[in-house]
Amino acid sequence: MKALFGNGKVISALVLPGLAVMVFALVVPIGFSAYYGLTDWAGFGKYHMIGLENYREILTADPVFWRALLNALILMLVTIFIQNPAAFALAAVLSHLPVRFSRLLRTVYFVPAVLSLVVITKLWVNIFNPTYGILNKFLHLIGLKSITISWLSNPHTALGAVLWIILWQGFGWALLFYYTGLMTVPSEIEEAARVDGAGWLQAHLRVIIPFMFPVISAVIVIDVISSLRQMEIIFLSTEGGPGQLTQFVSVYLYQKAFIASAYGYGNALSVLFVVVAVGLTLVVQRILRSNDDAQ
Amino acid sequence: MKKLIVIMLALCVAGGLLAQSITLKMGDNLSDRTTTWGAVVEQINAEFKKANPGVEIVTESYPDQPYQQKIKIYATAKQLPDVFKYWSFSTLLKPLVDGGFVMSLNKADFAKFGYVPGSLESNMYGGKLYGIPVSADMWVIYYNKKLFKDAGVNTIPTTIEDLEALAPKFKTQGIIPMVTDGKDAWPLSLTYDVFIERVNGDFSRTQAALDRKAKFTDADFVEGARQYLKFVQSGLFQEDLMVSDYGASRNLFGQGKAAMYLMGSWEMGLAADTNFSEEFRANVDAFKFPVLKNGKGKIDDLLAWYGGNYVISSASKYKDLDLKYLKYYAERFPGLAWEKQATFPAQKVEPRPSDSPVAKQLLRILADAKRTSGSGTLDLSTPQFKEDHQNFIRELSSGLVTPEEFCKKLDASAEKASKQR
Repeated sequence: MKALFGNGKVISALVLPGLAVMVFALVVPIGFSAYYGLTDWAGFGKYHMIGLENYREILTADPVFWRALLNALILMLVTIFIQNPAAFALAAVLSHLPVRFSRLLRTVYFVPAVLSLVVITKLWVNIFNPTYGILNKFLHLIGLKSITISWLSNPHTALGAVLWIILWQGFGWALLFYYTGLMTVPSEIEEAARVDGAGWLQAHLRVIIPFMFPVISAVIVIDVISSLRQMEIIFLSTEGGPGQLTQFVSVYLYQKAFIASAYGYGNALSVLFVVVAVGLTLVVQRILRSNDDAQ
Repeated sequence: MKKLIVIMLALCVAGGLLAQSITLKMGDNLSDRTTTWGAVVEQINAEFKKANPGVEIVTESYPDQPYQQKIKIYATAKQLPDVFKYWSFSTLLKPLVDGGFVMSLNKADFAKFGYVPGSLESNMYGGKLYGIPVSADMWVIYYNKKLFKDAGVNTIPTTIEDLEALAPKFKTQGIIPMVTDGKDAWPLSLTYDVFIERVNGDFSRTQAALDRKAKFTDADFVEGARQYLKFVQSGLFQEDLMVSDYGASRNLFGQGKAAMYLMGSWEMGLAADTNFSEEFRANVDAFKFPVLKNGKGKIDDLLAWYGGNYVISSASKYKDLDLKYLKYYAERFPGLAWEKQATFPAQKVEPRPSDSPVAKQLLRILADAKRTSGSGTLDLSTPQFKEDHQNFIRELSSGLVTPEEFCKKLDASAEKASKQR
């Protein structure tokens, strides 16, 4: 058996199918995108090779692309520094509640994560609706008529409103990860810290959070990736508007390729998008790993 | 015995071949198949199937924007439906013509079907006909007579200033003065076209700007943008104008929550749409887009064009049958559409005393028209220019850019597009 697995041919034969799937599912499409990114193709009909013109335009003359990246960055920061701590704190509270009670609450908090994105987005679009939406109706009721606005189309609130939908939808996942993580923390560790004189907060900050660092870093990596590829909620609510204030790269490249008939340009966007996403994920992983090593 | 079996087998095979049906794939933007336009198409299909045994028709329907995207994707994947509804515009039909995706038609075949002068021509590229027009499109304002009466509005506004002044009257009644589809932005782009004309009294100026014989930064365009912005911000429209889509805004009007609906004549079927109350249907009417008090545009200068059409995929396996269908459609559509008051056809129709008030009014608006525009500016150039036009008008309407900045951006996009056209 050992000889079998030591045989180079056997290893190649076993690796090949998986590798082939990877190549066809990832490398080939990206290769096609890279090729069409060098053209002025409209999606059908004839096209010409235009070299790196699309890339030049995206990087030097397309403020929307940068706006979309900025929005992804904002979403990433909000997720990591607001949603995650909130989810962690709630998970910590839940882990100390009686099981029956915490199970009920966990289910409630997780409901948004199992609902379809279409349902969730339409739900919030209706809540935010200025004419018949429940939010403005509520503001009217409590006498705050002056701040009833069109949440999703007002330039000052649109980004906040869509970020809220995204965070609300993702909260259940973060909570689930942290709760599961907390369940794996041996109670002796916390008890030992308590014996040494640490309070609840200190025990969490000094002992439990460092213990859970692998979970936290996994959640952060997932957050970074999902912030970048955010598409459905934007597409179903604002389509990037008003103006391009809530634009995200996936929505933008779809609009370019299939609505504006700039298929070549859309492909160039997608190639840059892959580069940015892979680069950022590597950077984040490196930061997290060095943090991990330091501990 | 053997012989008998062979004969039986042969009969079975022959029978199978005879019974084999042909399925024509079709596509359109008429999701509702039970009322108005969709119901007319279903009736035409049923009649066509009856006259051609063995023919099946399968139709895919989506709202405008997703439908246009679908067609582009199908074209890329070489899977276009055999016959499909589309638009005559250079932004939509021309790329399909250039790519060889749609079959050219013989104009003489369709000349006898009573098309309004200019409508077949709007479907011609390089001297060849590629689609048959279906609707005559006019940009008008629908209104609910009962809501007007309830708000004490007894005269139809003929100036934009008077129209804007109506806003508070409806608002105090809890009624939205006016709705339109702001999310898709093309209604806003068309409205901007009207404002340019209401300022300068000349529909041809935008074409001149696209041909680079004028600039979008010229005074009349900037003044048009200023007046347009004033109109959008006058409090007439629903508060979520920029995110409410076609269906949502149409429903607000149909359900009696809005007094006016800024939309094209293809919505004539509102008066026949049984999804809405009888009271609404009896009260829906239309009026001409008003003029600016100090503008050069006249009330009978009409933004009108022939947008919707039907085309045949050049990759279809059943081209003869497709053509037969198109001719049948051309023959039956105007009569049926008018009978059901479903939409305003691009073919001559016989007015009847029983026509709905809105149908009579639309006929009058068209008859009164001294000048018409042709396709909206956003559909006269490249797909990218169209996308830009819509994005920029969104920015202007949301107050993100000034009229001057808007015109500057539009001009830059027109400059770029002129090099690609």
